[in-house]
Amino acid sequence: MPLSRDEIMDKVRQALVDALGVDEDEVIPTARIGADLGAESIDYLDIVFRLEKAFNIKIPRGDLFPDGVLTTEEFVQQGTFTPRGLEELKTRMPYADLGALLKDPKVQNLADVFTVDMIVRFVEARLSGAEAPAPSKPA
Amino acid sequence: MKFFLVDRILELEPPKRIVAVKNVSLAEEYLADHFPAYPVLPGVMMVEALVQTAAWLVRASTDFEKNLILLKEAQNVRYGTFVKPGMQLVMEVTALEIGPDASRFKATGRCEGQVALQAKLTLQHLNVADADPYGGAEADALLRPFWRERFRLVGGPAALAAAAGREGT
Repeated sequence: MPLSRDEIMDKVRQALVDALGVDEDEVIPTARIGADLGAESIDYLDIVFRLEKAFNIKIPRGDLFPDGVLTTEEFVQQGTFTPRGLEELKTRMPYADLGALLKDPKVQNLADVFTVDMIVRFVEARLSGAEAPAPSKPA
Repeated sequence: MKFFLVDRILELEPPKRIVAVKNVSLAEEYLADHFPAYPVLPGVMMVEALVQTAAWLVRASTDFEKNLILLKEAQNVRYGTFVKPGMQLVMEVTALEIGPDASRFKATGRCEGQVALQAKLTLQHLNVADADPYGGAEADALLRPFWRERFRLVGGPAALAAAAGREGT
Protein backbone atom coordinates (compact mmCIF):
# COMPACT_ATOMS: atom_id res chain seq x y z
CA MET A 1 0.00 0.00 0.00
CA PRO A 2 1.57 3.31 -1.02
CA LEU A 3 2.49 5.73 1.76
CA SER A 4 0.41 8.87 2.22
CA ARG A 5 2.12 12.25 2.25
CA ASP A 6 1.61 12.43 6.01
CA GLU A 7 3.29 9.07 6.49
CA ILE A 8 6.17 10.21 4.31
CA MET A 9 6.39 13.45 6.31
CA ASP A 10 6.57 11.48 9.57
CA LYS A 11 9.48 9.37 8.35
CA VAL A 12 11.27 12.38 6.86
CA ARG A 13 10.78 14.22 10.16
CA GLN A 14 12.31 11.33 12.10
CA ALA A 15 15.27 11.15 9.73
CA LEU A 16 15.93 14.87 10.20
CA VAL A 17 15.52 14.70 13.97
CA ASP A 18 18.04 11.84 14.09
CA ALA A 19 20.49 13.44 11.66
CA LEU A 20 20.39 17.01 12.94
CA GLY A 21 19.48 16.66 16.60
CA VAL A 22 16.57 19.10 16.29
CA ASP A 23 13.23 18.83 18.05
CA GLU A 24 10.30 17.27 16.17
CA ASP A 25 8.30 20.48 16.32
CA GLU A 26 11.08 22.36 14.50
CA VAL A 27 10.62 20.13 11.46
CA ILE A 28 7.82 21.93 9.64
CA PRO A 29 7.33 21.83 5.85
CA THR A 30 8.72 25.31 5.26
CA ALA A 31 11.80 24.79 7.45
CA ARG A 32 15.03 25.08 5.49
CA ILE A 33 17.31 22.27 6.50
CA GLY A 34 20.32 24.62 6.43
CA ALA A 35 19.30 27.97 7.86
CA ASP A 36 16.50 26.69 10.13
CA LEU A 37 17.60 23.21 11.14
CA GLY A 38 21.36 23.79 11.18
CA ALA A 39 22.44 21.25 8.54
CA GLU A 40 25.74 21.63 6.78
CA SER A 41 27.33 19.60 4.01
CA ILE A 42 28.30 16.51 5.99
CA ASP A 43 24.74 16.36 7.37
CA TYR A 44 23.33 16.12 3.86
CA LEU A 45 25.12 12.79 3.45
CA ASP A 46 23.70 11.53 6.74
CA ILE A 47 20.20 12.63 5.74
CA VAL A 48 20.43 10.70 2.45
CA PHE A 49 21.54 7.52 4.26
CA ARG A 50 18.68 7.78 6.73
CA LEU A 51 16.11 8.38 3.99
CA GLU A 52 17.40 5.34 2.09
CA LYS A 53 16.92 3.20 5.19
CA ALA A 54 13.56 4.66 6.15
CA PHE A 55 11.99 4.22 2.72
CA ASN A 56 14.03 1.28 1.45
CA ILE A 57 15.08 3.16 -1.67
CA LYS A 58 18.43 3.97 -3.20
CA ILE A 59 19.35 7.62 -3.56
CA PRO A 60 22.50 7.86 -5.67
CA ARG A 61 25.02 10.55 -4.79
CA GLY A 62 23.91 13.88 -6.23
CA ASP A 63 20.24 12.94 -6.67
CA LEU A 64 18.75 14.72 -3.67
CA PHE A 65 21.53 17.25 -3.12
CA PRO A 66 23.08 17.89 -6.53
CA ASP A 67 26.59 18.75 -5.42
CA GLY A 68 27.68 17.95 -8.97
CA VAL A 69 26.56 21.48 -9.83
CA LEU A 70 29.43 22.79 -7.74
CA THR A 71 32.11 20.81 -9.52
CA THR A 72 32.67 22.77 -12.68
CA GLU A 73 33.03 26.38 -13.77
CA GLU A 74 30.55 25.63 -16.52
CA PHE A 75 27.90 25.86 -13.78
CA VAL A 76 29.47 28.20 -11.23
CA GLN A 77 31.49 31.36 -11.81
CA GLN A 78 32.66 33.64 -9.02
CA GLY A 79 30.16 32.30 -6.52
CA THR A 80 27.20 32.65 -8.89
CA PHE A 81 25.37 30.02 -10.96
CA THR A 82 25.71 30.49 -14.69
CA PRO A 83 22.59 30.19 -16.91
CA ARG A 84 23.86 26.68 -17.75
CA GLY A 85 24.16 25.97 -14.03
CA LEU A 86 20.59 27.12 -13.37
CA GLU A 87 19.33 24.91 -16.22
CA GLU A 88 21.20 21.99 -14.65
CA LEU A 89 19.56 22.70 -11.30
CA LYS A 90 16.11 22.85 -12.88
CA THR A 91 16.70 19.48 -14.55
CA ARG A 92 18.14 17.81 -11.45
CA MET A 93 15.56 19.20 -9.01
CA PRO A 94 12.15 19.24 -10.72
CA TYR A 95 10.46 18.94 -7.30
CA ALA A 96 12.15 22.04 -5.85
CA ASP A 97 10.98 25.64 -5.78
CA LEU A 98 13.84 27.54 -7.40
CA GLY A 99 12.03 30.90 -7.62
CA ALA A 100 14.14 32.86 -5.14
CA LEU A 101 17.37 31.32 -6.39
CA LEU A 102 16.60 32.28 -10.01
CA LYS A 103 16.17 35.90 -8.88
CA ASP A 104 19.49 35.94 -7.01
CA PRO A 105 21.54 33.00 -8.32
CA LYS A 106 24.37 33.08 -5.80
CA VAL A 107 25.66 29.71 -4.65
CA GLN A 108 25.18 30.75 -1.03
CA ASN A 109 21.42 30.94 -1.73
CA LEU A 110 21.22 27.33 -2.92
CA ALA A 111 20.92 25.94 0.59
CA ASP A 112 17.61 27.78 1.13
CA VAL A 113 16.04 25.63 -1.61
CA PHE A 114 16.35 22.55 0.59
CA THR A 115 13.24 22.65 2.72
CA VAL A 116 11.55 19.81 4.54
CA ASP A 117 8.71 19.98 2.03
CA MET A 118 11.17 19.62 -0.87
CA ILE A 119 12.52 16.43 0.65
CA VAL A 120 8.99 15.07 1.14
CA ARG A 121 8.17 15.78 -2.53
CA PHE A 122 11.40 14.13 -3.63
CA VAL A 123 10.61 10.97 -1.66
CA GLU A 124 7.04 10.97 -2.96
CA ALA A 125 8.29 11.13 -6.53
CA ARG A 126 10.80 8.32 -5.93
CA LEU A 127 8.26 6.07 -4.26
CA SER A 128 5.84 6.51 -7.14
CA GLY A 129 8.57 5.20 -9.42
CA ALA A 130 9.53 8.45 -11.10
CA GLU A 131 12.74 8.22 -13.10
CA ALA A 132 15.74 10.08 -11.75
CA PRO A 133 16.68 12.85 -14.22
CA ALA A 134 19.96 12.06 -15.95
CA PRO A 135 22.77 14.45 -15.06
CA SER A 136 24.12 16.35 -18.02
CA LYS A 137 27.78 15.83 -18.78
CA PRO A 138 29.91 18.98 -18.65
CA ALA A 139 31.03 19.98 -22.14
CA MET B 1 47.71 15.91 7.39
CA LYS B 2 47.47 17.44 10.84
CA PHE B 3 44.38 19.59 11.34
CA PHE B 4 45.76 22.49 13.36
CA LEU B 5 42.99 24.96 12.82
CA VAL B 6 44.03 27.79 15.14
CA ASP B 7 46.59 30.02 13.44
CA ARG B 8 46.94 32.63 16.14
CA ILE B 9 45.55 33.49 19.56
CA LEU B 10 44.69 37.19 19.67
CA GLU B 11 43.23 37.58 23.14
CA LEU B 12 43.47 35.30 26.15
CA GLU B 13 41.92 35.87 29.56
CA PRO B 14 41.98 32.55 31.40
CA PRO B 15 39.69 31.12 32.65
CA LYS B 16 37.04 33.32 31.03
CA ARG B 17 37.65 34.07 27.41
CA ILE B 18 39.75 33.56 24.31
CA VAL B 19 39.79 35.04 20.80
CA ALA B 20 41.73 33.29 18.04
CA VAL B 21 41.82 33.28 14.25
CA LYS B 22 41.97 30.76 11.47
CA ASN B 23 42.98 31.97 8.02
CA VAL B 24 41.43 29.98 5.19
CA SER B 25 43.81 29.15 2.39
CA LEU B 26 43.19 27.64 -1.03
CA ALA B 27 46.08 25.33 -0.14
CA GLU B 28 43.93 23.37 2.36
CA GLU B 29 43.50 19.94 0.80
CA TYR B 30 39.89 19.33 1.80
CA LEU B 31 38.79 22.37 -0.22
CA ALA B 32 39.55 20.52 -3.44
CA ASP B 33 36.39 18.46 -2.93
CA HIS B 34 34.35 21.01 -1.03
CA PHE B 35 33.59 22.13 -3.63
CA PRO B 36 35.69 22.09 -6.78
CA ALA B 37 34.10 25.20 -8.34
CA TYR B 38 33.14 26.81 -5.01
CA PRO B 39 35.63 26.13 -2.22
CA VAL B 40 34.33 26.90 1.27
CA LEU B 41 35.48 25.85 4.71
CA PRO B 42 33.44 22.75 5.65
CA GLY B 43 31.08 23.28 8.56
CA VAL B 44 32.66 20.48 10.55
CA MET B 45 36.08 22.13 10.22
CA MET B 46 34.54 25.35 11.54
CA VAL B 47 33.27 23.49 14.59
CA GLU B 48 36.67 21.84 15.06
CA ALA B 49 38.34 25.26 14.90
CA LEU B 50 36.06 26.46 17.72
CA VAL B 51 36.83 23.29 19.70
CA GLN B 52 40.57 23.86 19.32
CA THR B 53 40.17 27.49 20.39
CA ALA B 54 38.28 26.39 23.50
CA ALA B 55 40.96 23.76 24.16
CA TRP B 56 43.62 26.48 24.29
CA LEU B 57 41.60 28.28 26.93
CA VAL B 58 41.43 25.05 28.93
CA ARG B 59 45.19 24.54 28.67
CA ALA B 60 45.96 28.12 29.66
CA SER B 61 43.53 27.87 32.59
CA THR B 62 44.75 24.52 33.92
CA ASP B 63 48.49 24.91 33.29
CA PHE B 64 48.44 22.24 30.58
CA GLU B 65 47.44 19.61 33.08
CA LYS B 66 45.60 17.29 30.63
CA ASN B 67 47.11 16.37 27.28
CA LEU B 68 43.98 15.21 25.48
CA ILE B 69 41.19 17.74 25.17
CA LEU B 70 38.35 16.33 23.13
CA LEU B 71 34.92 17.39 21.97
CA LYS B 72 32.26 15.60 23.98
CA GLU B 73 29.18 17.40 22.70
CA ALA B 74 28.30 20.23 20.32
CA GLN B 75 24.84 21.71 20.78
CA ASN B 76 22.74 24.34 19.02
CA VAL B 77 25.21 24.58 16.15
CA ARG B 78 23.94 27.21 13.75
CA TYR B 79 25.66 28.17 10.53
CA GLY B 80 25.60 31.61 8.94
CA THR B 81 27.87 32.85 6.15
CA PHE B 82 30.35 30.73 4.23
CA VAL B 83 34.06 31.19 4.89
CA LYS B 84 36.05 31.26 1.67
CA PRO B 85 39.77 31.12 0.88
CA GLY B 86 41.38 34.47 1.63
CA MET B 87 39.01 35.10 4.52
CA GLN B 88 39.70 34.88 8.23
CA LEU B 89 37.48 33.12 10.75
CA VAL B 90 37.60 35.00 14.06
CA MET B 91 36.68 32.67 16.90
CA GLU B 92 35.47 34.00 20.21
CA VAL B 93 34.95 31.48 22.97
CA THR B 94 33.59 32.22 26.44
CA ALA B 95 33.85 29.63 29.18
CA LEU B 96 30.70 28.77 31.08
CA GLU B 97 32.64 26.39 33.31
CA ILE B 98 36.10 24.82 33.32
CA GLY B 99 36.54 21.82 35.61
CA PRO B 100 39.42 19.37 35.88
CA ASP B 101 37.81 16.76 33.57
CA ALA B 102 35.28 18.71 31.55
CA SER B 103 34.37 22.20 30.42
CA ARG B 104 31.54 24.02 28.70
CA PHE B 105 31.64 26.99 26.37
CA LYS B 106 29.65 29.39 24.27
CA ALA B 107 31.45 29.87 20.96
CA THR B 108 30.99 32.16 17.96
CA GLY B 109 32.88 32.28 14.69
CA ARG B 110 32.72 35.51 12.70
CA CYS B 111 33.97 36.29 9.23
CA GLU B 112 34.19 39.86 7.94
CA GLY B 113 31.87 40.99 10.70
CA GLN B 114 29.14 38.43 10.01
CA VAL B 115 28.35 35.38 12.09
CA ALA B 116 29.62 32.24 10.39
CA LEU B 117 28.60 29.89 13.16
CA GLN B 118 27.59 29.60 16.77
CA ALA B 119 27.72 26.61 19.06
CA LYS B 120 27.63 25.43 22.64
CA LEU B 121 30.53 23.06 23.27
CA THR B 122 31.26 20.52 25.97
CA LEU B 123 34.84 19.29 26.10
CA GLN B 124 36.41 16.50 28.12
CA HIS B 125 40.00 16.50 29.34
CA LEU B 126 42.19 13.51 30.12
CA ASN B 127 45.73 12.29 30.04
CA VAL B 128 46.68 9.33 27.89
CA ALA B 129 47.62 7.51 31.11
CA ASP B 130 43.99 7.82 32.25
CA ALA B 131 42.95 5.73 29.26
CA ASP B 132 46.05 3.54 28.98
CA PRO B 133 47.69 2.81 32.33
CA TYR B 134 50.56 0.88 30.70
CA GLY B 135 51.85 2.97 27.79
CA GLY B 136 50.16 6.23 28.66
CA ALA B 137 52.78 7.88 30.81
CA GLU B 138 55.29 7.79 27.96
CA ALA B 139 52.84 9.43 25.58
CA ASP B 140 51.98 12.07 28.16
CA ALA B 141 55.66 12.86 28.69
CA LEU B 142 55.94 13.64 24.98
CA LEU B 143 52.67 15.50 24.68
CA ARG B 144 53.01 18.03 27.45
CA PRO B 145 56.05 19.86 26.01
CA PHE B 146 54.51 19.50 22.53
CA TRP B 147 51.43 21.49 23.55
CA ARG B 148 53.50 24.12 25.32
CA GLU B 149 55.60 24.62 22.20
CA ARG B 150 52.46 24.78 20.05
CA PHE B 151 51.07 27.40 22.45
CA ARG B 152 54.13 29.51 21.80
CA LEU B 153 53.79 29.06 18.03
CA VAL B 154 50.22 30.39 18.04
CA GLY B 155 51.07 33.43 20.14
CA GLY B 156 49.67 32.23 23.47
CA PRO B 157 52.31 33.72 25.78
CA ALA B 158 52.14 37.03 23.92
CA ALA B 159 48.35 37.15 24.29
CA LEU B 160 48.64 36.41 28.02
CA ALA B 161 51.22 39.17 28.42
CA ALA B 162 49.00 41.62 26.56
CA ALA B 163 46.08 40.79 28.85
CA ALA B 164 48.28 41.23 31.92
CA GLY B 165 49.51 44.53 30.51
CA ARG B 166 45.93 45.77 30.03
CA GLU B 167 45.00 44.73 33.54
CA GLY B 168 47.81 46.83 34.93
CA THR B 169 46.61 50.06 33.27
